[in-house]
Amino acid sequence: MKENSLWKDSFKKLVRDKWALGSLIIVLLYGAVAVLAYFGFLAADWAKEVGASNLPPSPEHWFGTDIFGRDVFSKIIRGTQIAMSVGLVTSLIAIPIGVILGALAGYFGGWVDDLITWLYTTFSSIPNIMLLISITMILGKGIFAVYIALGATSWVTLCRLIRGEVMKHKEREYVQAASAIGGGHMRKLFRHILPNVTHIVIINTSLQFQFAIKSEVILSYLGLGVQGEPSWGTMIDDAKLELSRGVWWQLASATIAMFLVVLAFNLLGDALRDSLDPKLKGK
Amino acid sequence: MLKYIVRRLLYLIPVLLGVSFVIFVLFNLVSGDPTAVLLGKNATARQMEELREQLGLNKPLFDQYLDVVKSAFTFDFGYSWATKQQISKMIIQGAYPSLCLSLPAFIVATVLSLIISLVVSFYRGKGIDLFVRILCIAGVSVSALAYILFFQYFFAFKLGWFEISGFEFGFPDFVPYVALPAIIFILLSLGPDVRFFRTIILDEIYQDYVRTARAKGLSETVILLKHVLRNALIPIITYVVIQLPSLILGALLLENFFSIPGLGGITLNALNSSDFPVIKAMAILSSVLYIVLSLVTDILYTFADPRVKLK
Amino acid sequence: MKPQILLIGMLAIFLMGCSKENNFDEREINLISPEKISGFDPINASDRYSGNETGKVYEGLFEFHPLKRPYELMPNLAESLPTISVDGLTYTFKIRKKVLFHDSPAFKNGIGRELTADDIIYSIKRLADPKLNAKGWWLLDDRILGLNEWRSKHAAIEKTNYQEEVEGLKKIDDYTVQMKLKRPYPQFLYALAMPYTFIVAREAVEHYGKEFLNYPVGTGPFILPKFEQTSMITYVRNLKFREKFYPKDGEEGDDKLGLLADAGKRIPLVDQINVHIVVESQPKWLAFMKGKQDLLEVKDVNIQQSINPDKTLKDIHREKGIRLIMKPMLDVTYFAFNHEEQIFKNRKLRQAMNLAFDRAGYNRLFHENTGFEAQGPVPPGLGGYTKEFKNPFVKFDIEQAKKLLAEAGYPGGKGLPTIIVQTRADTIGRQQVEYFEKCMEKIGINIDIGTNTWPELVNKVTKKQHMMYTMAWGADYPDAENFLGLLYCPNQAPGSNGSNYCNPEFDALFKQAAIMQDAPGRTVLYEKLNEMVAVETPWIFGFHRTDIYLTQAWLKNFKHMEFNHSQFQYLNVDLEVKKQLIKKF
Repeated sequence: MKENSLWKDSFKKLVRDKWALGSLIIVLLYGAVAVLAYFGFLAADWAKEVGASNLPPSPEHWFGTDIFGRDVFSKIIRGTQIAMSVGLVTSLIAIPIGVILGALAGYFGGWVDDLITWLYTTFSSIPNIMLLISITMILGKGIFAVYIALGATSWVTLCRLIRGEVMKHKEREYVQAASAIGGGHMRKLFRHILPNVTHIVIINTSLQFQFAIKSEVILSYLGLGVQGEPSWGTMIDDAKLELSRGVWWQLASATIAMFLVVLAFNLLGDALRDSLDPKLKGK
Repeated sequence: MLKYIVRRLLYLIPVLLGVSFVIFVLFNLVSGDPTAVLLGKNATARQMEELREQLGLNKPLFDQYLDVVKSAFTFDFGYSWATKQQISKMIIQGAYPSLCLSLPAFIVATVLSLIISLVVSFYRGKGIDLFVRILCIAGVSVSALAYILFFQYFFAFKLGWFEISGFEFGFPDFVPYVALPAIIFILLSLGPDVRFFRTIILDEIYQDYVRTARAKGLSETVILLKHVLRNALIPIITYVVIQLPSLILGALLLENFFSIPGLGGITLNALNSSDFPVIKAMAILSSVLYIVLSLVTDILYTFADPRVKLK
Repeated sequence: MKPQILLIGMLAIFLMGCSKENNFDEREINLISPEKISGFDPINASDRYSGNETGKVYEGLFEFHPLKRPYELMPNLAESLPTISVDGLTYTFKIRKKVLFHDSPAFKNGIGRELTADDIIYSIKRLADPKLNAKGWWLLDDRILGLNEWRSKHAAIEKTNYQEEVEGLKKIDDYTVQMKLKRPYPQFLYALAMPYTFIVAREAVEHYGKEFLNYPVGTGPFILPKFEQTSMITYVRNLKFREKFYPKDGEEGDDKLGLLADAGKRIPLVDQINVHIVVESQPKWLAFMKGKQDLLEVKDVNIQQSINPDKTLKDIHREKGIRLIMKPMLDVTYFAFNHEEQIFKNRKLRQAMNLAFDRAGYNRLFHENTGFEAQGPVPPGLGGYTKEFKNPFVKFDIEQAKKLLAEAGYPGGKGLPTIIVQTRADTIGRQQVEYFEKCMEKIGINIDIGTNTWPELVNKVTKKQHMMYTMAWGADYPDAENFLGLLYCPNQAPGSNGSNYCNPEFDALFKQAAIMQDAPGRTVLYEKLNEMVAVETPWIFGFHRTDIYLTQAWLKNFKHMEFNHSQFQYLNVDLEVKKQLIKKF
């Protein structure tokens, strides 16, 4: 019961905050566009040549055309799908690893903790960029490699946070009470403790999303990004050669598309933190 | 205390073993034969074989791994395969420009974010809080590449306020070169920094001791600066120190576009030429730094908050 | 508000260190190297850019005439062209007297000594030293009598013994060297003009040991006391440089271009050369347009900003006095098939793909119409290229392509697997294959892009793990053999024939031509080889590109040159013009 009202409260608070609500709407909108593009309802013909190359924005082509005469607007839509899927899949990879390892380490302590701590210390002490590059090199290029590489490098933060939080909760009364009535470890961990650290996961996910979207740009710059599909990263990367010849619309539209969603995720993350984090409650 | 430090330093051993293993597996086993790249477009099969022998790539894998471990503990990284330069020298020469860019930018960004977050905490919930926060977040929502392309074109070329690219050793010669990339660096750091600091500070503001202080009639400013800031210092220090190793590696994009001959470029070149010894050295150095700095953080805790005991 | 004040204060501090002023007092020139320079060891100067830097401090026995075209060798450290025995195997070189090495602590009293025959022999042996495994070894591999034996013998020994004589490298007296070849090597003199064979001093090599690559001690016109990884390398004039003069004759028309204004003057003509290392294209372009650089190699997208569609310089640049130099390059770009793949043994498939490739569109998008469609491997400007020859498969003809594809057994592309084209992972590389993909789509062939870091691409090619890849080959020396060799069976991977093409008829003829001296007979053979292999379409032929340079009005004596490592000593700067024009920037 108590759980329920906490979530309800938070949601109410979130809705009351105009900025947070706006951000939520933007995120949902992007999500909808991504889903529609994924199933081919939107921008399915992005690869079609619709005009001469590098046409500036006009009523027919709102964001102009690219070097191959493709519609930049369609590419942005298609890129939205890539960006959102990169955010989603890397989160889906990072969250289970981070949560499970973090929970095990925090709950059991001892050698389990030592082992897991060692693992994430090792991973976090190798510069991210090296891991990213080497993983994409091993898996070959493409969106799959981008998912794995970003997922594999971003579980570390979450793992550390969850571990700390679980350690704290382990000592709390309700867990002690659960042991008193004879709950098994798994039951205690998954039924009692984990629901109480969910807010960390949610906040982290919204930040993870925007981190993944931004990293995709850097990977594209290094030539390790998505292949054969228009991503915002490759569009911005194209712009490094186009800008000086006066072709600014690809850079501008990809930057704006990215700006809006990253801003929305950031604001949403903040709002979620404010409303979900028990420490900040009641302010 | 001393015992604690020694124990923490000993922890370097398993971590370095782990780092060497990951790096070895990723780059030696998987990334293939470097000799073709190292010998250039006219390489012959025979010469490639000779080079493989010379580089020790024909040795059993376990021996090769041992070599990596050995260099991790002796810090003797030898010579680069691609440039034939002594690696320790390459790193020292590259660290200087990297730090000239990233260290001042990092300090300015941290101090600036701290000030901003104190101000927005003071006005929490008011319009200015929201406005400044959104401004900071907006700053970080633009891709670094977009900043670089635009700023270099506009501020350095059109307005001529800064050097377009390049670097000179020695202060203040490097200032005109690093100023613009440093500003971009700061813009990109403000968002996450302010968000984090603000959360920490707000966290403290709702603690009991603040209520007590307020009851005593202390002014809000005094509370914020004397009490809250002091208590918020621990997580802030952690956050700041943990970022330091990444500064040494430099800001890869910024270095490339502004022709700053730093470690970011060295690392990228090494990755682009299968230069395993350099990759290895960079990974090992940054993990050592990481461990040592987290130790320093823990020790700093005791100064920031005497209640913390190291165990 | 505190933060605002601080912000403004910070900005003010930054702005005080405004950008630097141009220099009008010193006779210096500013050049760009688009790649990082790793060191100054001639034997490893394998790419154009490290060759260019090495060439400012070191010299070889020969150099290419800076003005004459087609390329002509002229003696540099050698006093004259060598005397060659009738069988073409024995070369006797006379060496110039009173050539001094740069002053260096490596020498007695720190003063550079005179160059002798021993230095020539030492430098060649050093290129063969198995301990150093030089990148340039291929150049002399299996060429000089006894050198390979010397190399293999020392591979097993702890320390290389330079005292031990090599049969093919003999000192006659202090100023005469005799070299003996195993079999005719018509490109031998070109080899002695390449940076790999530039002359180093034994004392310096031994004094600096592994640090030698940071302390270049040559005989060249410029001095670099110590090399460090910086963003700018500064060379100063070698005050003790021997008497060397600007050539008095050149190609027809050089006179009009002002290239002979300094004829007969003692070189070098400037006091200092600054080489700025700038990797990204935007800062390169911006710095040149700001007047901070004197010479810009225009690449890719910047071409459109530089020239009008009719290939003349844009007015905004002309107003600033900037000049445009466009010359065909000795290179060829191609999409290579891996001939070990069963499907590519089918000649009709290869020809169909050649016909479906719309080169005009490619040229427009990526070369701004400045590329020459390659009819075969040999570029114009080399013996072996014929203007009249038009490859019947180097044209855009979808209908014929479809027909050939059907004849090949894949009507409408049916039955063909998706073909993966490996390329470099940079923006242009990716876009070029994307374009190729769209062309092949039109006849029903599916293409996938494989992007690679440079090491990955090289690995895939040397290990034959690819279906197709894209490549550009630049000449090592001005001889068609360098291009035809790309399709010579014994050169297949890991050699330079990355497409693993084998054609016994071609190979037999090539073997014959490769040992012929430069003569009309050889050119005929080259022409035959070029045309014969062209219609076999072992690659999808791309382009012979055009080198485009912009120079500032104040930079004098710059002439386009493919092998330009020794060219910089002839450059000059007109400070009066610079002072005048810089106001317009």
